[in-house]
Amino acid sequence: MKYEIVIGLEVHVELATESKIFCSCSSKFGAEPNDNVCPACCGMPGMLPVTNEKAIDLGITAGLLLNCHINRVTTFDKKSYYYPDLPNAYQITQWFSPVCVDGGLEIETQAGKKVIGIKQIHLEEDAGKLVHDDWTDSTLVDFNRTGVPLVEIVSQPDLRSVEEVLAYLERLRAVLRFAKVSDCRLELGSMRCDVNLSVRPYGSEKLGVRTEMKNMNSLSAIARAIEYEAARHIDAIELGTKTLIQETRRWDDISGKSFAMRNKETAEDYRYFPDPNLVPIVIDEEWIERIRASLPELPEKKAMRYVSELGLTEESTALITESRNLCDIFEAAYPISGSPRETANWLIMDCMSYLRSKQLSADDLIIDPLKLGELIRMTIEGEITRNAARRILTAVIEQDADPKKIIEEKGLSVQSDEGTILAIVERAVADNPKSVQDYRNGKTKAMQAIFGSIMKELKGNGDPQVIQRLLKEVLDREE
Amino acid sequence: MKEEMLKGLEKINQLSLTQEERRIVLDFFAFLAGEEEALESCNTDNVERMVHLIPLKNVLREDVSLKTFSQDSLLAGAPKHTDGYWQVPRVVD
Amino acid sequence: MKLYITENTKRNDKTVAVDDTILVEGMPSTAGSKMLGEFKPLFDAEVISRLYNTGFSIAGKSNVGEFGLDLLGETSNYGACLNADGTLAGAAAAIVANGDAEYALSVDLNGTPRRAATLQNVCFIKPTYGTVSRHGVIPCACSAEQIGVMAKTSVKAAELLSIIAGHDKKDGTSLPQMKYDYTAADNATGIRIGIPTEYIEKAEQTVSEKVYRFADVMKADGATVEEFSLSELSFVQAAWQILLCAETCNNLSRYDGVKFGYRGNNSKDIGELYTSSRTEAFGLNAKFAILYGSYVLSKGHYESCYDKALRIRRVLRNKLDGIFSQFDLIIAPACSKLAYSPSDVVNSLEACYNESYFTALSNISGIPIVVCGGVQLMGDSFSENKLLTAATVYERTEVGK
Repeated sequence: MKYEIVIGLEVHVELATESKIFCSCSSKFGAEPNDNVCPACCGMPGMLPVTNEKAIDLGITAGLLLNCHINRVTTFDKKSYYYPDLPNAYQITQWFSPVCVDGGLEIETQAGKKVIGIKQIHLEEDAGKLVHDDWTDSTLVDFNRTGVPLVEIVSQPDLRSVEEVLAYLERLRAVLRFAKVSDCRLELGSMRCDVNLSVRPYGSEKLGVRTEMKNMNSLSAIARAIEYEAARHIDAIELGTKTLIQETRRWDDISGKSFAMRNKETAEDYRYFPDPNLVPIVIDEEWIERIRASLPELPEKKAMRYVSELGLTEESTALITESRNLCDIFEAAYPISGSPRETANWLIMDCMSYLRSKQLSADDLIIDPLKLGELIRMTIEGEITRNAARRILTAVIEQDADPKKIIEEKGLSVQSDEGTILAIVERAVADNPKSVQDYRNGKTKAMQAIFGSIMKELKGNGDPQVIQRLLKEVLDREE
Repeated sequence: MKEEMLKGLEKINQLSLTQEERRIVLDFFAFLAGEEEALESCNTDNVERMVHLIPLKNVLREDVSLKTFSQDSLLAGAPKHTDGYWQVPRVVD
Repeated sequence: MKLYITENTKRNDKTVAVDDTILVEGMPSTAGSKMLGEFKPLFDAEVISRLYNTGFSIAGKSNVGEFGLDLLGETSNYGACLNADGTLAGAAAAIVANGDAEYALSVDLNGTPRRAATLQNVCFIKPTYGTVSRHGVIPCACSAEQIGVMAKTSVKAAELLSIIAGHDKKDGTSLPQMKYDYTAADNATGIRIGIPTEYIEKAEQTVSEKVYRFADVMKADGATVEEFSLSELSFVQAAWQILLCAETCNNLSRYDGVKFGYRGNNSKDIGELYTSSRTEAFGLNAKFAILYGSYVLSKGHYESCYDKALRIRRVLRNKLDGIFSQFDLIIAPACSKLAYSPSDVVNSLEACYNESYFTALSNISGIPIVVCGGVQLMGDSFSENKLLTAATVYERTEVGK
């Protein structure tokens, strides 16, 4: 390949706060249009912005996760332009002094590990949503999303391939989700990625003409967009038929092409100036340490610990560490159950299959880890059978039921009393002469049918090992 | 300040002046250009800008959501609205 | 005399007139502009809530020039407020002067209420920036504008000010102090007064006579008076004009015919909608502030204009520290003459700019002002009580005559 692709990414991530960044409207997704709106976030005059403390906390959190320097003084500025999703015709953002600068995120690809530089992270408010209505040939405006807090994470142009870009985005998403900074859903728009791309001959130090691409709604769309745009750049350079200009382009996934955005003048002057309504935020050591202390152990560290200290397999570890929720439940449950491995199995198999049956994901699992741990412990110690435990699990998830209570109420304790079982075994052998005959003729599998009827009489609570042993004794005993 | 530049300012601010208004505004811009020269006489070397007149820092609000205004009340003054949305002519990207 | 844009028929006998740039829920708020259309606010300004809690009612929404940007309300979409002799009056000051309401609240953005109070010979207090909440003020220059109180005497104005002043958490620039105690001392003994000569030179004799008259009354009561040079006045106006227009441009950009208010006739596409709305509904003063404001913020001019003005603001603030260690207060004219006819404001832009020479210092620095006896009393931040002392002494002397 003669050419090197140079990519920088601007990733916008919606912060997991209750309210918007400068007003108290709910920042939750999914409400009826204009239901989470107040005069401030729909451009009416008179209400003043007041900064949401949690937004700053999460900005600092993102900075620490991405190994950035946290600026000791951070301020807000206004960026002016006209578009109907921007009710004030200005966006409050950070231009002069963003919250974090100079960080890096390590990614791993087939070629090995690499650190992608982070130029800066800044806070800003989101814009509203436009819905195009063909029927009335008009555009409908919903300001619910206006004012939702965002961080914009700007990488250095250190990425060189689609593989690196995807690794970066997946890692970024994992880290931010894990620390509950954002739920990072590309398809829902809580994570958005703009790609800045240029190409240059291998070995050249100089950067080529850069274009920016927007509107990729999935990782695969991003991959397709990069491949297309790199090819477009290379064609333009090699064939010389079109001059490349620095511009913003819109990716159209259906046609598989990028298009220059209309009405976008190159180098639009946003006339940034400091917001007079928002006083500076001074971030001292104490604040940073408080946030640092609240950071979760990240997935890789957990994975190492689970494997080396808790004896989990790498497969189990990989599955659990995908979800912060599963990790939290696992870590609280295994001390009660006494077996990290069994706990991991229960989560990966029984809990996940329950979730799948309800079309839910690992993050949706709501279960009291102490009750789960207790249930697993009782199963391990033979107080109940695995089958019984599975049935109880559903009740623990759905009704937060106490396993001990259910066992008592429904008489699910494992029956291991030899005297009781022996009596049932004797009866069953007497009632199934054909099976007994088959067994004595060498068909050892005939024992299963008798076993089944014994277990049925014990309502599934018979201790299988005791039944098996006593049944064999009885069958082998008689002549 | 030339007329072309003024028209450029009108454009980014989404408004237009009449020719007569342009004349008045251009005259006043010229007058102010003279006034701006007086700014030079103030030495601002090593002087930090003063954005705020109060020495406040870290004015922050707890992250609590409140619902105070209904969709109806917000749209009551809308020049054009439908189905809970503000309505504008079709916007093309 | 066009005093009110909207009158309140349900007023009681404790009334305050409120400029139409301050929001009152349920009553139209026009800011004197066609742009707001039929806009009815969904909430009360904080000062209004505090007044209601103390048993006051609103006399009505007093007439104002478009967004408070002009000399004396001459650019109001609802007609200028004129005296019987055809000269310009400021509506809020006239309301208080003729007793239609006991008090008025006016936003001092660029000196209009001070000029109006001078002409009507009433008292106006513009408090220290950050003292009175701006929640519910239709914004222009957020870094500087303040609601002030108009009343016949300084004592009455101070009474109302103490009701509305104090911390409001809905305003992120509101100072922490919860209550302010505005009291005047008995006499002016020992008060050191300065008169900047540059102001005197720029004003007509009828105006500077008032300044010297005030100074004489103070001296008779034990104050010292000294003239001094304030050369920084040569660039205060220009610096303030830059900040005023930049912030106003930004605060006026939200008016676009989409969410509320006036919508232009041409709406075949969104661009035309914006342009027709803003062209048809803004007056020339507002348009100019927008154009000049975006000019001083644009690449290539930001450093030499806006950024420079912000640094000049700090230079002035430091200079004021020096001045107020030497003097307790400064007296100066609020405007160049004592009567303005409509012909004086044919070019409202220039007239207004020229008059801002007298008023810009307080706007750019946030220092408080009391207008009394046709004169501006300026003091350091939080020096309202000294200003009130001087005003009370003057009023007592004048009444005693």
